[in-house]
Amino acid sequence: MSEQIVIVGFGPVAARLIDELLPAVRDGHVSLTVVGQEAEAAYNRVLVADLGVGRTTAEALALSDAAALTTDGVDVRLGVRVRRVDRARQQVILTDGTSAHYERLVIATGSRPVIPNLTGINPDPSSPVLPVGVTALRDLRDASVLRAAVDGGKRVVVLGGGVLGLETALAAAEEGATVTVVHNGPHPLGRNIDRGGGAVLAASLRRCGVRMASNARSTGVEHNAPDGGFSALLLNDGSAIDGDLLVLSCGVRPRTELAEGCGLSVGAGILVDHRLRAHHEPHIFAIGDCAEVRCPDPACGECRTAKGPSGLVGPGWRQAEWLAEYLTLLASGTQDDADALQELPQEQAGVIVLKARGMNMAVAGNNGAEPWDVETLTAGAVNGRPRLQIAQWADPEHGRYVKMTTRGGVLEGLVSVGMPRTAAELVGLFERGAELPADRSLLLRLDGPDQLAASGPADPAGTVCRCAGVSGTRIQGAVADGCSTVAEVSKATRAGTGCGGCHEDIKGLIEKHFQAAPAA
Amino acid sequence: MTKSADTHCPYCALQCAMTLTSPAELTPASEPGSVPVPAESAARAAALLEAPLPEVLLEVSGRDFPTNRGGLCRKGWTSATLLNHPGRVTEPLLKGADGVHRPIGWNQALALVTTAVKDTQARYGKDAVGVFGGGGLTNEKAYMLGKFARLALGTSRIDYNGRFCMSSAAAAGMRAFGLDRGLPFPLADLDTASTILMLGSNVAETMPPFVQHLQGARDAGGLIVVDPRRSATAKFTADGGGLHLQPLPGTDLTLLLGLSHVIIHEGLADEDFIAARTTGYEALVRSVNSFWPERVQSLTGVPAELIRDTARRLADGAAKGGSYILTGRGVEQHVDGTDTATAAINLSLLLGLPGSRRSGYGTLTGQGNGQGGREHGQKADQLPGYRKITDPAARAHMAGVWGVPEGTIPGPGLPAVQLLKSLGQPDGVRCLFVHASNIAVASPDANAVIAGLRSLDFLVVCDFFMSETAAEADLVLPVLQWAEEEGTLTNLEGRVLRRRRALQPPAGARSELWIMARLAEALEAPSTYSEDPETVFEELRLASAGGHADYSGIDYAMLDRGEAAYWPYPVGSTGTPRLFLDTFAHAGGKAVMTPVTPRRRRTPEANPDPAAKTMTLITGRLLEHYQSGAQTRRVSELLASQPEAKLQIHPAAATSMGIAEGSFVSVANERGQVVCRAELSTAIRPDTVFLPFHFPELESANRLTEAATDPISGMPEFKFNKVWVRLAADQAPNQPQTSVLQTSEAS
Repeated sequence: MSEQIVIVGFGPVAARLIDELLPAVRDGHVSLTVVGQEAEAAYNRVLVADLGVGRTTAEALALSDAAALTTDGVDVRLGVRVRRVDRARQQVILTDGTSAHYERLVIATGSRPVIPNLTGINPDPSSPVLPVGVTALRDLRDASVLRAAVDGGKRVVVLGGGVLGLETALAAAEEGATVTVVHNGPHPLGRNIDRGGGAVLAASLRRCGVRMASNARSTGVEHNAPDGGFSALLLNDGSAIDGDLLVLSCGVRPRTELAEGCGLSVGAGILVDHRLRAHHEPHIFAIGDCAEVRCPDPACGECRTAKGPSGLVGPGWRQAEWLAEYLTLLASGTQDDADALQELPQEQAGVIVLKARGMNMAVAGNNGAEPWDVETLTAGAVNGRPRLQIAQWADPEHGRYVKMTTRGGVLEGLVSVGMPRTAAELVGLFERGAELPADRSLLLRLDGPDQLAASGPADPAGTVCRCAGVSGTRIQGAVADGCSTVAEVSKATRAGTGCGGCHEDIKGLIEKHFQAAPAA
Repeated sequence: MTKSADTHCPYCALQCAMTLTSPAELTPASEPGSVPVPAESAARAAALLEAPLPEVLLEVSGRDFPTNRGGLCRKGWTSATLLNHPGRVTEPLLKGADGVHRPIGWNQALALVTTAVKDTQARYGKDAVGVFGGGGLTNEKAYMLGKFARLALGTSRIDYNGRFCMSSAAAAGMRAFGLDRGLPFPLADLDTASTILMLGSNVAETMPPFVQHLQGARDAGGLIVVDPRRSATAKFTADGGGLHLQPLPGTDLTLLLGLSHVIIHEGLADEDFIAARTTGYEALVRSVNSFWPERVQSLTGVPAELIRDTARRLADGAAKGGSYILTGRGVEQHVDGTDTATAAINLSLLLGLPGSRRSGYGTLTGQGNGQGGREHGQKADQLPGYRKITDPAARAHMAGVWGVPEGTIPGPGLPAVQLLKSLGQPDGVRCLFVHASNIAVASPDANAVIAGLRSLDFLVVCDFFMSETAAEADLVLPVLQWAEEEGTLTNLEGRVLRRRRALQPPAGARSELWIMARLAEALEAPSTYSEDPETVFEELRLASAGGHADYSGIDYAMLDRGEAAYWPYPVGSTGTPRLFLDTFAHAGGKAVMTPVTPRRRRTPEANPDPAAKTMTLITGRLLEHYQSGAQTRRVSELLASQPEAKLQIHPAAATSMGIAEGSFVSVANERGQVVCRAELSTAIRPDTVFLPFHFPELESANRLTEAATDPISGMPEFKFNKVWVRLAADQAPNQPQTSVLQTSEAS
């Protein structure tokens, strides 16, 4: 008897869940229905900006193949939405009038772009009608709007200094568009980065050809284009930033209305416990951007410090993998078997790595504290808990900046701009909660040229030919005994008879001998 | 007696060509090259070398050949010193009740084996007798071992140590191409390449003369080495030679998916090739889609820019001078080794590299006959000619060649790790034959393997030294060394080479072919068992005819004329230096791209020792030693240079634990413990340590490795194990000389 599972939403997180459930579908333990609002099966939303600047193709973004899933026995319903959930009858009613019964319902509806309150834009948050020349950047249609502007060499205005806005701006600028980023606050990524990192980041963005309008408060849009479309973004100081396309990149908001409509608890997202189950509803789960892990137990220490949905895809994928295992256990065994599965560990604070070709930036955790800020550093350092420590490196002229905020040697925050290897290493250390080397400067030198040097200065007694194990002294001896070519030295000592990599060194020793000889 | 012989090195799969000459033939002693080279370095080396050197039986010289171009490494140069090593076993040795091995005659030895086999099988059934072979056996011996096991012993329980080397790459090659030949092209093809991506292979240490073939790519700035350590090979990327990518251990698969992602999304894929010669592209695109460079950077620690740069260089090379992707044990010896090799192959297929004359994918075979050894029937699931043992047509063919009813050929057995786990267990193997393998040192979870060996009713080990495995044996049978025998091996390119005799063996030693022939006779086995290598090869030709690895067109005379014979070489053909030029070996002729993604790993046990730090252990080889070290630890020059296992550890990690250069450290986990000296090096990541696996007992790295296996290939996890590292509790200044001499004493 197979368990009926219905998944609402067909984005990247749902796609992962489906992939992981497929073995159980093929085995007949699970009968699976997927409802997707868009006409396409899941594609990689993270790369929509790349598509928008013509760097990749829609085909290459695909994450799922509806036809292949249907062959596997999955009931795939595209271009249709769930109108409501009937919890009493355990069924979902779709906008096309059909319905589907569920034993387990997984809501993976993701999030929608935040549409800022600007004059000239319809403020209805659930179904905004954007004027011509104004777009968010979430789906394939949005990408094609951006694509037309970039290909046409148009002026693009990006509203929002978050990571998506910056990536879009950088990509569009690199592909030849004139781009201005408009954001409030003194520097971009205001919520994540510190002052020094933000300043170096902004300078790097300018160097990459992106115009930055900082401390800007936008109030409305102007529609004076010949087609009646967007022509300028109006700011509260009375100025305007002209452009042909306005890309709204003001963050995302979880799509929770389906859960709200059927009476589930909703905070920032649909509230779920540590098994990703909706509160007091064993048949409904939520994962990805639309879900918020916060259990009903007010004493739960983990949930007290939990943050809302991150907007990043990584945590959603981990939830999908975990839930697939859990649901498979439920379908093939008992509730107890499934509950024996270790709960998903709490997510680390999200790591933001700028996806860009021309520059490198990574930021994670809390970076607000400054090295001399004793009050901030010692706050919370009680009962043996170590205080925060900061190590910092700033080289704004060369676009480099690193800040490591640690407690007990483990990163609580990191900023790295313009130092790719350091960024990669720090992100790894942050995610694994690993301890940093006591000498933090070790991490700065990863991008230094000294890392590439093969070895130190030549030690005459040291091995010249590793393959045959021959020292410089022995080679010098052979040369003194009359060997004057590499071949002769090789014959006499076997040096250079393996990989041949030391031929230059042998030659050097021969030359040194004959240069020294006349002087002596 | 032969005075001089053209043969090949006894050690690795590069099979460097060498000439062995007896001193009588040599030019006068003033020739400097003829003087044995004493090693420099430590005082302990001097101590070792003070002992008078035995008489030199054979001089070794490098011989010009397309693979090694006259070059040899230290292992090859010193190989002849083992021929008359004082520790050589030259008579059958029987272990007494007191645990001491004493010489017996061959007749008694063979009778003991025969009785043990018969008694065991009468009590526990045919499969209670097992055979463990090796990738160092000649083609003739590997073939005969499979036949002997299945017909004379009637057991399905045969596998070999190649399961620990090549099985993942072999499974991936079969899956993608329908055929597995390590390099499907001659090695010298690499010379003209402008980009070579080497994943998990440290050729500068493991097969130094190979490095000559990387020079072209280095000159073009296109040598890209992927290794968590800054290995000797990785150092070749310095000074504009190329790039070194240092992923976290265990993340190679993710890195490869990231490279494929860039190839697809930057439009660098060879679309014509993909359309004409592959299947599975759409599914592959979907599978790599979620591995964009910045995400891969977070997972692997390799900067996104280097990932993009690497992908672009590969594509650029493919369009210009040629691009090659080569994998080694570093990426293959994992529980996801088959998938990782598959990801490398998928990348090469996206770029259109396989089946081209100047680009390609290959895996670098490790053991001397690691290629031939996996083709002729010593694998649990195979019959000669790389045939599947479950394929009715293959079984019928072999039954015909052997002149037996098809039903007498047993079905598939157990892959190595499972075979070793079954030792002494109910329904497991109770009587074991070991050939050309030192499983007590070279197997994962070595402590468990040793316990298994000790639980056997009877253990027969064929070896020429008292290896750690032989020391456990009830009966040790002395066999021949490479310079004392005739035969063929198949090198890492799939080229069949002749091994030639230069020396008469010691009086008491016997060829394994002779041993098997005598035992088959005593066991009244069906079919024939020749002790003459050429006769066995003639039979192997018939057996392999029509299989993947078809040798039917090759004979000794042709090899002796120096012809380059690459399999498949059916009768009437001229062999196949380059595979896949027109078609892949799957039905339909297309290569298959199989989507692969990383699996979650088991959570390792928690560190119970508060003073120890949990780190990642990777294992591997040193230039001076080969495999379990059973041979190279007996070469005084090599042992003097690398007398003991040292734990490579980053100074930053070491300092925080009070570990200094030369400190004794304890490296432990739930499976066992190693105590050895520390060697501080910035060539390794601060969270990772490295141990060579050449050493026994308290220095045996494989006491720490896990016997978890790849679900497809049966490859164990050698390169990604959690260990607990600390300063050894007892910092007694142990006399190193003493411990070294004890090691060699054991020989």
